[in-house]
Amino acid sequence: MGQHNIMVKICVGTACFVQGGADLLLYEDFLDPSLLRICTIEGTSCLHCCKTDDQQLRAPFVEINGVVHANVTPKRLIELLREAQHA
Amino acid sequence: MNEIFIDVDYNQTYKAGQKIGGDVFLQSRDPVSQQIVCTLSDGLGNGVKANVLANLTANMAHKLSFSPMHLTKSAKIIMNTLPVCNERKISYSTFTIADIRPNLDKTVTVQLIEYDNPRVLHFSHSAVIDIVAQEIELHREGAFKHEIIRQSTFSMAQGDRLIMFTDGVTQSGMGRSLPLGWRQAGVVEFITNILQKDPHISSRELAELITRRASTLDGLAAKDDITCAVIYVRKPRKTLIVTGPPFTKERDAQLGERMRNFDGKKIVSGGTTAQIVARLFQTKVKVDLSCWSPQVPPASKMAGIDLVTEGMLTLGKVATALENKTSIYAMPDDAVRRFVMLLLDSDHVSFIVGTKINEAHQDPSIPVEIGIRRTIVGRVRQALEQNYLKETVLEYI
Repeated sequence: MGQHNIMVKICVGTACFVQGGADLLLYEDFLDPSLLRICTIEGTSCLHCCKTDDQQLRAPFVEINGVVHANVTPKRLIELLREAQHA
Repeated sequence: MNEIFIDVDYNQTYKAGQKIGGDVFLQSRDPVSQQIVCTLSDGLGNGVKANVLANLTANMAHKLSFSPMHLTKSAKIIMNTLPVCNERKISYSTFTIADIRPNLDKTVTVQLIEYDNPRVLHFSHSAVIDIVAQEIELHREGAFKHEIIRQSTFSMAQGDRLIMFTDGVTQSGMGRSLPLGWRQAGVVEFITNILQKDPHISSRELAELITRRASTLDGLAAKDDITCAVIYVRKPRKTLIVTGPPFTKERDAQLGERMRNFDGKKIVSGGTTAQIVARLFQTKVKVDLSCWSPQVPPASKMAGIDLVTEGMLTLGKVATALENKTSIYAMPDDAVRRFVMLLLDSDHVSFIVGTKINEAHQDPSIPVEIGIRRTIVGRVRQALEQNYLKETVLEYI
């Protein structure tokens, strides 16, 4: 049985916004309506994940059901939400 | 900061089909004496030629009004300097100069010089007051007409307005809805009605309502350049901008105290700063996804704060908009537009700038416009002071 309410928080801090976060805010354009229906999407101020030296953890960051994901592109967001849906 | 503020703004519509105006309005404030000089000039004809004439006139009048030279001599110099129109074989341009000096007793002394523009209106709240003027004939050699300058000196108190406009306003609607145009009496009646309904209307809004009405009377295709300037003496409207986290955590409480005691509108610019303020005020930041554009991150909402925005990108775009005097109507409905609107409706702007460095912004892959906070704030201040005659103060924390 899939999950029916996925909490999504897109970081809108400066570092995230300029490194791809702005594209994620256009989620209504690239998310499937069936997926959109089961998601509660909101913006959040800086998640403080960008202040790290780890080159793997790069902006933009998105928190899905309490777990923070790095390097999120629109394509990656769709994958992450599909995974969360079937979790 | 002073207990009175002189709010000066203007609005202009060019003659239909023209890309440049033949009316020129200039304003400047002496930072030491707080003297303000406003000059309105209407050049002969329209388009580039009129613009050159009006610009020459306005700039000369503006400069000369800061000199100790007698005004009749200044007026003669202006008229002798203007180039002669190739078609009409005359050199001509109108001008109105208002020299405004604040006094210590919360009044303002105005010296007004008028030459051939429609009469300047002096309103005390919603009542029009007669300006008693002395008429001086210039007797200039080579003049093609009687050149009479009206000179007056009077006092303005809090709640008073001075409204100046070109004949594009008084003659609007001529031959269409109104046989003789809107005329001075029609303009007075229109302004009286507005001031009765909205006694605290800003100079920007009032000037815009007047020019918009004149343009409507012309069937939205202005027959002449339409320009209106408003000078409003009022209690200052204050805004506080808090941007950047304080240098040390210990200073957070000090920041909260300053914000609590501030009597005016409050803007918080910066994600981390907003989180600090939310903690100090025991409230929450809620991102407003209805207000953003691809260039600027969304604004947020916080109880007790009028506007919460992202920091560096938003401030950078606010600085650019103020430097370029971008119309708020040309901006998307995003945080920058809301920020600029709040600033334009303020007279005194106080900045509290946190000096803590944001490590995330030091990443080389971050765009270059994420500059140094102090530099961007400096640009905003300079644009507010020079382009909009606002008073600003800055404090680092």
